[in-house]
Amino acid sequence: MKVLQRQGRKLTLVGLMIVLLVLFIVVALRSGPLAPIAVTLDTVEARAVSPGLFGIGTVEPRFTYRIGPTTAGRVKRLLVDVGDRVTAGELLGEMDPVDLDERVRSQDAIVSRSRAALDEAQARQDYAQAEAHRYEQLLVARSTSQEIVAARQDAGQRSIAAVQAAQADVARARAERNAVATQRQNLRLIAPVNGLIASRDAEPGTTVVAGQMVIEIIDPLSLWVNVRFDQGNATGLQAGLPATVTLRSRHGATVTGRVQRVEPRADAVTEETLAKIMFAIPPTPLPAIGELGDVSVTLPAQSAGPVIPNAAIHRVDGTTGVWQVVNGDLRFTPVMLGASDAAGHVQVRAGLDTGDRIVVYSARMLSARSRITVVERIPGVTP
Amino acid sequence: MTTPLPANGILIEGLTKRYGSGDTAVDALKGVDMYVAPGEVVGLIGPSGSGKSTLLKCLGAVIEPTGGRMTLGNDVIYDNGWRIDDLRALRRDRIGFVFQAPYLIPFLDVTDNVALLPMLAGLPNRESRQRAVELLGALDVAHRAKAMPSQLSGGEQQRVSIARALVSRPPVILADEPTAPLDSERALSVIRILHEMAHRFQTAVIVVTHDEKIIPTFKRMYHIRDGRTHEEVGEGRAIGGAIHA
Amino acid sequence: MISLAARDILHDGPKFALTGLGLGLLIGVTLSMAGVYRGMIADGRALLDNSGAELWVVQQETLGPYAEPSSLYDDAYRSVLTVAGVAQAANVTYLTMQIHGARGDVRAMVVGIAPGPAGTPGWPPYLIAGRQVTRSHYEAVADLASGFRLGDRIGIRRHEYIVVGLTRRMVSSGGDPMVFIPLKDAQDAQFLKDNDAILQGRRRTEENPAFNRPGSPGVLDAVIASQSRSRSVNAVLVTLQPGHRQDDVAAVIARWKRLTVYTRAQMEAILVGKLIATSAKQIGMFLVILAIVSAAIVAFIIYTMTLGKIREIAVLKLIGTRNRTIAGMIMQQAVVLGVIGFVVGKIAATFWAPFFPKYVLLMPRDSLIAFFAVLLICVLASLIAIRAALRVDPAEAIGG
Repeated sequence: MKVLQRQGRKLTLVGLMIVLLVLFIVVALRSGPLAPIAVTLDTVEARAVSPGLFGIGTVEPRFTYRIGPTTAGRVKRLLVDVGDRVTAGELLGEMDPVDLDERVRSQDAIVSRSRAALDEAQARQDYAQAEAHRYEQLLVARSTSQEIVAARQDAGQRSIAAVQAAQADVARARAERNAVATQRQNLRLIAPVNGLIASRDAEPGTTVVAGQMVIEIIDPLSLWVNVRFDQGNATGLQAGLPATVTLRSRHGATVTGRVQRVEPRADAVTEETLAKIMFAIPPTPLPAIGELGDVSVTLPAQSAGPVIPNAAIHRVDGTTGVWQVVNGDLRFTPVMLGASDAAGHVQVRAGLDTGDRIVVYSARMLSARSRITVVERIPGVTP
Repeated sequence: MTTPLPANGILIEGLTKRYGSGDTAVDALKGVDMYVAPGEVVGLIGPSGSGKSTLLKCLGAVIEPTGGRMTLGNDVIYDNGWRIDDLRALRRDRIGFVFQAPYLIPFLDVTDNVALLPMLAGLPNRESRQRAVELLGALDVAHRAKAMPSQLSGGEQQRVSIARALVSRPPVILADEPTAPLDSERALSVIRILHEMAHRFQTAVIVVTHDEKIIPTFKRMYHIRDGRTHEEVGEGRAIGGAIHA
Repeated sequence: MISLAARDILHDGPKFALTGLGLGLLIGVTLSMAGVYRGMIADGRALLDNSGAELWVVQQETLGPYAEPSSLYDDAYRSVLTVAGVAQAANVTYLTMQIHGARGDVRAMVVGIAPGPAGTPGWPPYLIAGRQVTRSHYEAVADLASGFRLGDRIGIRRHEYIVVGLTRRMVSSGGDPMVFIPLKDAQDAQFLKDNDAILQGRRRTEENPAFNRPGSPGVLDAVIASQSRSRSVNAVLVTLQPGHRQDDVAAVIARWKRLTVYTRAQMEAILVGKLIATSAKQIGMFLVILAIVSAAIVAFIIYTMTLGKIREIAVLKLIGTRNRTIAGMIMQQAVVLGVIGFVVGKIAATFWAPFFPKYVLLMPRDSLIAFFAVLLICVLASLIAIRAALRVDPAEAIGG
């Protein structure tokens, strides 16, 4: 190895040592707890914030008609199935009359018998009246005693009452017969309105109790979305606001609607406000009942004002505010906030003006004593 | 034997060395007398086990003799006990060593190998190096001044080691079998260098050897056997040939 | 006088550098192990700091919500809010589970955060990109360590969420990244099962005659509905108004609301003292062993390096080098080796720390201690080598 080579080697070694030393110093100062914290800055813009409310809703029919018998019985036949459209007054099915027909006939017989009883009472009345009249005439001719005349008159009165009773009996028998006949009518299940059969809950042959639903009819034109909003985020919700609904089964396709009403009764347990959204145009094909939808309600835009991203808002010692860089140091500026929109823009009512520079993102938690360095993007974040 | 003390040179009187004590004691040296004048190259010849290594170690102030007297130049360095406090300084400044192998420090270049001793003595680096370069020139290896020992041939290394032995201008140089691994041409070359340097710098040189090739070159020799020395007159054959090996 | 140590190093440059490199890697490993230990403790503290809470209200007699499962009714927070000194009280749920992302499943801790303004306890205290959750369902803020990016759609249990914000260093005490979703969704995720299980549950309820009376058609629906709702959360996070002491308010809540309350100091003791104590001790022991082994290896290297120079040392001694000079050469070399090793080790540890699956915290204090420890070990090791060197008999250089 020549002298120059040796010199070169010495230089290489020395150079290596220097590189090592530099690396070491760099490492010591730039990493670990001594390193400054990377932050990004942003300028406060003036913007009109359109707050939006977001909730999950289920598609429900506005009116549901549950058709069923008024007495316990057995389903005899059903003429419609799920998905059929029916018109008002259409026969949907029938319950098994069981013994009702016999009972109607029995009531008929009772009516006949009571009429016969009435005839008999009428005949007696005629006879008793005639007798009373004859004996009154005999009394005038002094052929009979007062006592006998009185007895005959009394019989005559009683026969009138008997006729009245028999008449009432007939009326009652008739009414009862009508009642059973109406019951018999009730075994026919009739659609009350035009609609769509939503469910068929009991097949022919099933025994059902009084009031149990056999057929459910809904009005397809009256589908609405029953939506739940978080109470804390439901400021400004009122009827008439425009809304968009994204049904679960139709990704990306939004349907426009309107807030029909805000329910007066909220859910205290889940802390949610309920509202109903009507579709502007019912979507075709109709969404299934119970299908979930994401609902966004847009509130009217507020007037333009200074706006900050919600990532910049921090809470220090109980005060809400943002960090600002003043002369290279961090300073915490308390702010009063207003409405916010779904994209995370929050109105500033006091504390900042348009054009102020604020800290938005930071690589670590910030405090007034932190050393910072301003960067374009926090390291590690890919655009 | 008492001789008037010369200005330089080394004088040894009645040197004894005993290893161990009591029954197991071994007398390696039993009363050695020796004198080498400045500029003289003297051979010290003996078989192994004769005590020549022990004598060399005593001369080199590496081990302590048991008795006798050693005088180096004008100073008595040993008189039944060391008369010098700093033996290391003695070895560094006043005794030069030439070994069987060059034993150069591999991580110092040739100049620094030679300059090391004066630097250790406290001489500034520049002057030490100057002296080293002068000596390297005298030994005709100045052109290798900046090389590392591993780059030199055997003969060049040996010459550098001789330069190192001379750099402190010591009054005496002890050479321990300096020609053992060399062929006759190179061996004679080394002996001739020693003669030249001894004469030039007026250094007393003691060469311990049993190499038949160089024994004829000594004018005076000491034979050592069983711990005693006898002086002998040697052949004193002249050495020819070039100094380069 | 020239520096013999420097010359030797320069001459044997590559060997010395390689030795320094090897030593440095060993020291780097030791530093990393210390970093792992500190990282575990920092993870525990980060979990507490990031929640933004001063008090944790949990199920009575539990060590929850991190060390033990805890379950409260989700309206318990309302009565906590009434206690004097309480500024904010927010529900929170924690569940470690698999999240399905586009690039594979990720194990994460799903945190359910109560709705409210930014700064509600439980919300991520700072973001590195995107925004906080604004909708009450199906949005998520994820930690960078989960591998999710802004705009990713991720699946948690039965629903899909879109990642709207990113954070950093939000991890559970086990090192799993956190994903923040609205509380109601988190409650469903934690307590509501998958479709098959729900169908089975419904079927079992229907078969139960007590719930399926023919005369009361609404009972079955009501029972199924109640089974499908979840009314529980894992804890209530509380912040206090200025001027109120944590211990005082905690005592009031615990006494009157029959709940267990932990202050920040107590939570830290639970997390560090109970949850990660075993793992921390494990790593601590390993660190000690590693340090001892490293010290032994350093000593061995230095000793061997010296022994390799025994002949040169003998010659040096013979020709008159002072013991001091020789000792200085050995010690200087040892110290230089130690310094190189430390520098290489620190750089290596810093560069490979981010690749560890869990957080590695390299504190300057640890590095300083390590530096002085390395120097001490090198000096001690060189003393042993020096002793061996000085015992060399210079007479060895003169053959027998």
